[in-house]
Amino acid sequence: MLYGMTSDIAVLAEDLTKFYGTRRGIENLNLDVKTGEVMGFLGPNGAGKTTTIRLLLDFLRPTRGHATVLGLDPRRDKAVLHRQIGYLPGELAFPGRETAAELLKFFGDARGGVPWRRVTGLAELLDLDLSRPVRAMSKGNKQKVGLVQAFMHQPALLILDEPTSGLDPLMQQEFLAMVRDARDNGQTVFMSSHVLAEVQSTADRVAIIRDGRLAAVEKVESLGRRAVRSVEIHFGDPVTAAEFTGLPGVSNVEVAGPVLRCTVDGRLDPLIKAAACHEVIDLLSAEPDLEETFLSYYYHSEGAPDVAAAGA
Amino acid sequence: MLPPLVRKTWRDDRRAIIGWAAGVGAFTAIYTGFYSQFQGAAELKQDALPQGMLDFLGIADMLSPAGYLQATVFSLIGPALILMCAITLAARTIARPEEDGGMEFLLANPLSRKAFAIQRLTAAASAISVVAAVPWLLLAILIPTIGMDVPFGNVSAACVGLIALAWCFTGIAFLAGAMSGKRGTVLAVAGTIGVATYMANALSNVSDGMSWLKWLSPFYYFIGADPLHTGWHPAHLLLLAGIGVATAVAGVALFDRRDVGV
Repeated sequence: MLYGMTSDIAVLAEDLTKFYGTRRGIENLNLDVKTGEVMGFLGPNGAGKTTTIRLLLDFLRPTRGHATVLGLDPRRDKAVLHRQIGYLPGELAFPGRETAAELLKFFGDARGGVPWRRVTGLAELLDLDLSRPVRAMSKGNKQKVGLVQAFMHQPALLILDEPTSGLDPLMQQEFLAMVRDARDNGQTVFMSSHVLAEVQSTADRVAIIRDGRLAAVEKVESLGRRAVRSVEIHFGDPVTAAEFTGLPGVSNVEVAGPVLRCTVDGRLDPLIKAAACHEVIDLLSAEPDLEETFLSYYYHSEGAPDVAAAGA
Repeated sequence: MLPPLVRKTWRDDRRAIIGWAAGVGAFTAIYTGFYSQFQGAAELKQDALPQGMLDFLGIADMLSPAGYLQATVFSLIGPALILMCAITLAARTIARPEEDGGMEFLLANPLSRKAFAIQRLTAAASAISVVAAVPWLLLAILIPTIGMDVPFGNVSAACVGLIALAWCFTGIAFLAGAMSGKRGTVLAVAGTIGVATYMANALSNVSDGMSWLKWLSPFYYFIGADPLHTGWHPAHLLLLAGIGVATAVAGVALFDRRDVGV
């Protein structure tokens, strides 16, 4: 068995650090991706997502720390490892002038042979014309070629850098179905994104990276539970802000006559109990928005130690 | 069965390889083909040029068949074409894909870094060797056809020298690209070394005081011992090939150690 002793961990980063000269790429990144899970890797552009991915693939060498992928060393075992990895780069530049079919044939041969019906099946799923030269393709179609080559050999680990960029909404749904299929097959998926919504529906866990450091690792559902939600309550009579400002978890209280607007972090109970003293006409609670949760990490951990957030 | 990456490299470089081979072939055929018409004119040209100029150009005499070949195919334009081909194809092994982004897909092949670099270089070097062997092939046909009086063994020695010279500069260009990942660096380093060492060899012919310069020049080991008149000089050929192999080995080792595509 190739995976060795860490077969339940597909990707392990230990104090992984990369400096480009004096410029920081990532610093002291500790992360584990469990075998068979889908992990979203989120952060704004420039946070260090691609640097992390390139370190896992041995395109870059760490300044400090170490990564273990499928129980193997990215550098020493590169030849064995890359047969079991499907990689989609964030920037697609395909070498050569070939048609998609010729290029995918090369990728298949290089990985020791891939049944051609796997390729045509994926191409059909994504509505991709294999007879056209890749160079002449639109960004969306290039992205499809990239996805086909990443999935075609059914790798144990998929490393996808911004997989949905350039895809229209219909194709994004197809892609998400491919990711679910991969998980059902026991494959591990590590996909980066700067948009939460696209990992929300597939990822088991989300790692959030900010300024080269890991800000948090959360299960997607607990990220939702923790969410800061905005609440608006319409009362029968005017109320005062003072009644609500001190309540646990409640902040940003604004009162305009009989209308209260505030944000609630965590449980709604204290606010509801306080509101029940008045006649409540309407209550609006915005669906916990992961995007806002995501952003709140950036605000909340500004200047605060990152471990506080990572402890979840 | 050849490794898929080698075949892919050839396929991607196909147009360039065919173009260079056709260019080198046309150049060789046209110059050699003009030999009979050129005889009268050569005399005039040789009389018209001062001896210093002829020495600088590496032209011993333009009247004998060997001298004619030396002055045309093997003096300046022939080697220059072959070296341009060698340098540009060597730049495509690592530096070009690294700059245009194609490297991500190439390097994601299940190969170690070293194996990757070796396969890319093998593909490019074999194509360069084919282009550099075009004059040899054509002269093998043209010399008996035209009836030039020059021993074919000597022609072969000069033609193999051309291939060895191409290997030398392929290695240098590959090393520059494997180290830097930048096409500009490859062209600058290999181009500068090419021009400087050509000048060194040319100047060493002109003045005795500067004749030591020739020892620094690959062009001396290629043509300085006058293989068209004197035949094989194995030590010179081995030295050129040795430089190519040594720089290639260094390039593979350095590529194995660095970050790619930063």
